[in-house]
Order: sequence, then structure tokens, then C-alpha cells
Amino acid sequence: MSENRQRRARLRYVLLAALSPLALLFLWVAATRHGWVRPVILPPPDAVVMSFVDMVVSGYSGIPLYVHVAASLMRVGVAFFVGALLGIFVGMLRGRVAEVDAIFVVPAEMIRPIPPLGLIPLFILWFGIGELSKILLILTSVFLITMVNAQAGARACPADPLRAALSLGADRFQVFRYVVLPAALPQIMTGLRVALGTALSILVASELLGGDRGLGFIVLDASNFFRTTYVFSGVIIIGIVGLASDRGLAWLSRRWVHWEGRR
Amino acid sequence: MTSAPEVVLQFDRVSLDYGGQRVLSELSFSIKRGEIVAVLGPSGCGKTTMLNIVAGFLQPSAGIALISGREIAGPGPDRGVVFQSYALFDWMTVRENIAFHLRCAGRPRREQLEVADRMAALVGLTGTEDRYPYQLSGGMRQRCGLARVLAANPRVMLMDEPFAAVDVQTRETLQEEILRIQAQTGCTIVFVTHSIDEAVFLGDRIFLMLKGGLGAFEEFAVNLPQPRDGSDNRLHPEFLAVRERIYRAMRQPAGSAA
Repeated sequence: MSENRQRRARLRYVLLAALSPLALLFLWVAATRHGWVRPVILPPPDAVVMSFVDMVVSGYSGIPLYVHVAASLMRVGVAFFVGALLGIFVGMLRGRVAEVDAIFVVPAEMIRPIPPLGLIPLFILWFGIGELSKILLILTSVFLITMVNAQAGARACPADPLRAALSLGADRFQVFRYVVLPAALPQIMTGLRVALGTALSILVASELLGGDRGLGFIVLDASNFFRTTYVFSGVIIIGIVGLASDRGLAWLSRRWVHWEGRR
Repeated sequence: MTSAPEVVLQFDRVSLDYGGQRVLSELSFSIKRGEIVAVLGPSGCGKTTMLNIVAGFLQPSAGIALISGREIAGPGPDRGVVFQSYALFDWMTVRENIAFHLRCAGRPRREQLEVADRMAALVGLTGTEDRYPYQLSGGMRQRCGLARVLAANPRVMLMDEPFAAVDVQTRETLQEEILRIQAQTGCTIVFVTHSIDEAVFLGDRIFLMLKGGLGAFEEFAVNLPQPRDGSDNRLHPEFLAVRERIYRAMRQPAGSAA
């Protein structure tokens, strides 16, 4: 009985999740078909599909589409991986070691409210307009977000399991590895999902820093020349990358944090 | 080998101040190897504080706490703690929880598995080794907490109201198993509880700590027939007599205050 109800709830979820983008698509078709908006503002879906096919076949500005995609994924991937690793490490230490928190609290909390766009001129000055600037810009945001979440997670670690570990002979490192890290994992995973979304959104901004490839580059370049259909194609590809990676992280999170909400 | 059992735990005028308040005042006692001491008293009388000092989670503000003649310097596997909240690692299976001490001590994996399965059998958890704590009932969780401590082969087991959150039947079964396991392992147990019955059933000696009378406590000896884990002991005249003495002792100061 309840299994049946569960299955029906699941079905309803999948159905709604599939219908909402279809409804958006329908609105889009309707808006363009009836001439409610000018095509240069909102091009019709079939024109966007055509520009997408054109990019798949002959690339954008002389560079194959997969190179653009790979360049962006590489930037986001490296920045996300390194930034998250550093953020989790520093955040967990800040959460458990008062001295580490004291060292980081002023600089980290001063940098955190600065919008990444505001850092672009500085990053150009310091690191030039090459790959390093782009990656560091994304990395900084990922680092700050994952750090805050890891810190909160580590701080929320309940006292009794910590004491239990200590009294079972765990050293400081083992306490960290086997107790604090898993206890903080639910919040760390949430932080990773937020950071990944932010990383993709900063990607476009980071590709403002010169260069001739990347999904962000396509979007910026196309919008400079009012090639709205290409802007849409680029935006949709970024969106799909974001959706896929977030679903992936959510799936990992459910597997890794299987105990959450079941205590 | 001497015939007189050695003193395992000793408090010498141990005091503890917390937040400008004296929680424990000049507490002195000694506990011999193999003894079960039940610590009884109302909330706030300092019994958990006392246990936390033995565990090494708290340091005395004055006085000395000794384990086997050495000053207690911090938590360690020679003093296993069974928590009221179970304090299991939710991200580890029953087997991994039980093997935690051996894993931290860097013992080979085969030994970890072998000991974990043996301890699971000892506390009646055979067949649940691959489950996670959230898949167990409260009673089974505490069995897991017990097995996790036993796997470290501690000199002293410290239990802080370990059965407060389980139902009465399970609680009585677990009490009997504590006695059975203690008879097998011969380890010393300090057992903190609110329940007079639990204290009398388990304890060789009972420390009754009273609020206000910080540090001062009344001591009761229990001479129930062996084996102690027989449930008939709950109806034994000695059980009833000690229970009555403690009950009266607990009521006295409260009665005069009211």
C-alpha cells in the first residue's frame, strides 16, 4: 500500500520534472510564433537548434565546438577540484582548530563578499589574461563557498562520537579522518553543489579575460555581434552541463551520505 | 600474582569547577579490579562529571585521579566509554564500528574482522555486522556500543546511563548481559544510573551521590548470590533490602527540606 503510494509520488515527481521544461519550451514557441517579441531579443527555438547544428558541424569562430566545450570543462574542472579540496581542508581546520580559524577569519570574510567580477581587473594585473587568471577566478569562489560549508559541518560534529573516538585510541588525524570528515560530509556535499553552480556562472565572466575559446567566450562573442541564436545555444549548453553535473553530485551525495535523516 | 585485587581506579580529593561553580568537591574513593560500582544520584549531583574525569574528557581542578596508579592524562582505550546517546559512527557498519579501536591501532585487517565478529557474537549482534546503526533498534545500537568498547579490551568500562533510552524489557536483558560479559572478561565497571533497581542489580558497591552534599557520598555494599545475572536476584531479599535502604537515604534530605 505505502509502497504503491511511494511509487506514485515518485512518478508524479518525474512527470512534473519533465513537464516544467516542456511548458517553458511551449511558452517560448508561442512567444516567438505569434511575434510577441522580436527575434533578435528572443529567437525562435528552431533557429537556435539550427545555430547549434551549425556549431556542431563547423564550429564557432573557426574552432570546433568540442574544443570550446573541452576548454570550459577543463577550466571549471580544475578550478572546482582544486578549489574544493583546499576549501574543504581549510574549512574543516577552521571548524575544529581555533587558531586556524583566527588566522583565516579576517581575510577570508573580507574577500568573500567581493563579487568575482570585481576581482577581474586585479586578476588581469596579477596573472595576465591566460588560463591561470580564468582558473584562479573560478577557484577563488569555489574555495570560499566550500570552505564556509566545510567549516559549518566540522563545527556541527556532535561531541559524543568525538569523545568515543578519542577514548577508543584515535589520534588527532584519525579523529579528523574517521569522525569529523564524515560528520561534516552532508554540509560539504551541499557546499559542493552550490560551488559547482557558482563555478559555471563565473565561467562566463572568467572567459571575459581574453582568449578565443570556451562556452563563455561563445556567449560573449555572439552577444557582441547580436547573434542571439548562438548566445542561446551557448547558454543552453552551459545549462545542460550544470544540470548534469548537479544531478551527478546529488546522486553521489545520496550514496555517500546514506545515513542523513535516518538517525 | 597477589591474592588481594589491585586498586584500578583511585580518586584523591578530586574537585572540579565549571563556570565558576564547584561541581565536584574533594571526592575520594578507590575501586578494585573486577568490581562493578554503580553510581546513583539525582541530576546535577556530579556523577557524569566524575565519569568524564575517569574517561579523561575533563581534568580535575584539584586533587588527583589515578588509573592503575598513574595519573589520568586524557582519554584512552584502557577506559572504554558506553554513552547514553550510543555515540556510534553512523557512517560505519556495525563491524566497522566494533573494529574502530583495532583500525586506529593499525592492527591487520584480518584481526579486525575476526575480533569484530567475535565481539558481535558476544553481545548478540551476529547477523547484523553489515548493517548501519540507523538500521538497528535502540537496544541493538547499545549492544554495538558495548561491543565497540569490548573490542579494545579495556581495563575499565565506564557507562553513563547506557540503557536510559531503551524499553524496560530490553533494559533488563541488557543488564543481565552486562553481568554475564563482566563475569567472562573480569573487567571493572563504573555504571552511572538514575535507577535504584539498576544500581542494586548490577553493583557490587553503590555510591549514592547527593546534590548539595557535593563530593560526599554514601556507600552501600550489595551481597547478592552468584551468578549475579540470574533474574531471580531481582526478587531476592537482599535486593529488596538494599533497595529500601537506598530509597530511604535518598528521601531523607529531600524530606527534611520539604
